[in-house]
Amino acid sequence: GDSWGIFAFLCAALCHLPAVPALNGTEELGAGQSIQKTYDLTRYLEHQLRTLAGTYLNYLGPPFNEPDFTPPRLARAERVPGATVDLELWRGLTDNARLAANYRAYSRLLCYLRALDGQAGTAELRHRLGHFCSSLQGLVLSIAGVMSSLGYPLPAGPTAAPGSPGAANDFLKKMDEFWLLKELQTWLWRSAKDFNRLKKKVPPAVVTLRLEARGF
Amino acid sequence: DSRIQYERVGADVTMKCGSMDWDAAVTWTANGTDIDDSHLNGSYLILKNVDLTRSGQYSCYEGSSWHLKYQTYLKVGVPPKEPVLMCRSNNYPKGFYCSWHLPSPTYIPNSFNISVIHGTREMVCEKDIFPKNRCHIRYLQLFSTVKYKVTLTVTNALGKNSTTLTFDEFAIVKPDPPESVVAKPVPNNPRRLEVAWQNPSSWPDPESFPLKFFLRYRPLILDQWQHVELSDGTSHTITDAYAGKEYIIQVAAKDNDIGTWSDWSVAVHATPWTEEPKHLTTEVQITETTSTSTSSFMPPPTTKICDKGAGVGSGAVAVCWTAGLVLAAYGVLFI
Repeated sequence: GDSWGIFAFLCAALCHLPAVPALNGTEELGAGQSIQKTYDLTRYLEHQLRTLAGTYLNYLGPPFNEPDFTPPRLARAERVPGATVDLELWRGLTDNARLAANYRAYSRLLCYLRALDGQAGTAELRHRLGHFCSSLQGLVLSIAGVMSSLGYPLPAGPTAAPGSPGAANDFLKKMDEFWLLKELQTWLWRSAKDFNRLKKKVPPAVVTLRLEARGF
Repeated sequence: DSRIQYERVGADVTMKCGSMDWDAAVTWTANGTDIDDSHLNGSYLILKNVDLTRSGQYSCYEGSSWHLKYQTYLKVGVPPKEPVLMCRSNNYPKGFYCSWHLPSPTYIPNSFNISVIHGTREMVCEKDIFPKNRCHIRYLQLFSTVKYKVTLTVTNALGKNSTTLTFDEFAIVKPDPPESVVAKPVPNNPRRLEVAWQNPSSWPDPESFPLKFFLRYRPLILDQWQHVELSDGTSHTITDAYAGKEYIIQVAAKDNDIGTWSDWSVAVHATPWTEEPKHLTTEVQITETTSTSTSSFMPPPTTKICDKGAGVGSGAVAVCWTAGLVLAAYGVLFI
């Protein structure tokens, strides 16, 4: 009860930090190049996460750091947005929906990851987490840049999920953290595929025309 | 009555002659051949420490009447060792397949049962008709955070064994090798080879799930491979081949972002283009200058011109002949 209140406060505070992206720079790049940049960022983050997750899971201790650990996903209120999706549904997503799903997911994930920051074990781990959060922030901004250069509205900023139950005990809290990292990892794998699809579908020429029109 | 009896290698087997008393007079046969009395304990047949050669049909006949009292087919074997299981997705994102085999034979019939659990759900792995010992699953959802747990149990009359694999959706992605690999020399380029290939046909959606490639090549005479990684396209020009040396070339594929490299493709061989040897051309030139300086026309020795195409076959010979005739005709004209 008490811990949830603190968590909610932290999340709200951290998430309402200015997240409005600086649009001027990315518009000049053109959507095609921005998508490539965003794709590259997801690959970089996925690589960083491998080391970070390993260290963090070791900090959580067994069974979380066991390779075959396959806990059932508890039917708790979905605080962390899921990457899992039906294949045909995923294929049929519009560019806008695809980008928006990524934007919402990483905004939320960033929020929860930042909340971990203050509690994690060693100073080194906290430093690594901090670095990762900065990179993740960069990804959120990059996605926002792509959306705005394509003329799509940004989804509403992330808010702490109201009324969702906090972790009742230490083990469940660790379980939440395990799933947070797992979801983050899966999203990064999914995003590579999302941005691959976007790369093919967004012709850079279209965007150049738009930019020229704006110049007049 | 007829039956099958399974026994372990090394076991001691006692066969009773049906309902006959222990002290009844009987004869046992193995595959029609009488069995020596030394193996009998009364009317019981004792086979000690059986091996595979003991397998066969055993029959028991009443002593005097030669009535068949009991018959059984003995099959000697072993309980199954831990099976070898492999799961792989060569058709991402459609699904994956699992295949298995026993590391050593049991010599008796085995049955396999495979179970696939994804989170709380049990999925059905559809058995393939061919090859045997293989089944496939279609993904219902993509980008799953929950691992798949596949358990294979092998059972036979003498025992059972099992093995389990646990994996993430992304970890088992491994495409089939690229197909139709072709390598050709490039005309007038003694150090180049043009290599082209196709996506494996089992990969269903290269548009949304592009593949990247790894090319390796070396001249046959060397052991060291050279490598090139290509993130785009299904062709590549090697520009540093050793002139005139035959090369062996292979290509492998991998999903751009997830999983592991495929096995190497079938190897192709190619030799870079080589120029025609120069000395033949100069001889022809010398002959031509000699003939133009003399007043009487002498047809140039046709043999020299023909050598140029000597290796090509009988067609070249016909051309030489015709050339000789034409030149002779001209010679007559000028006289």
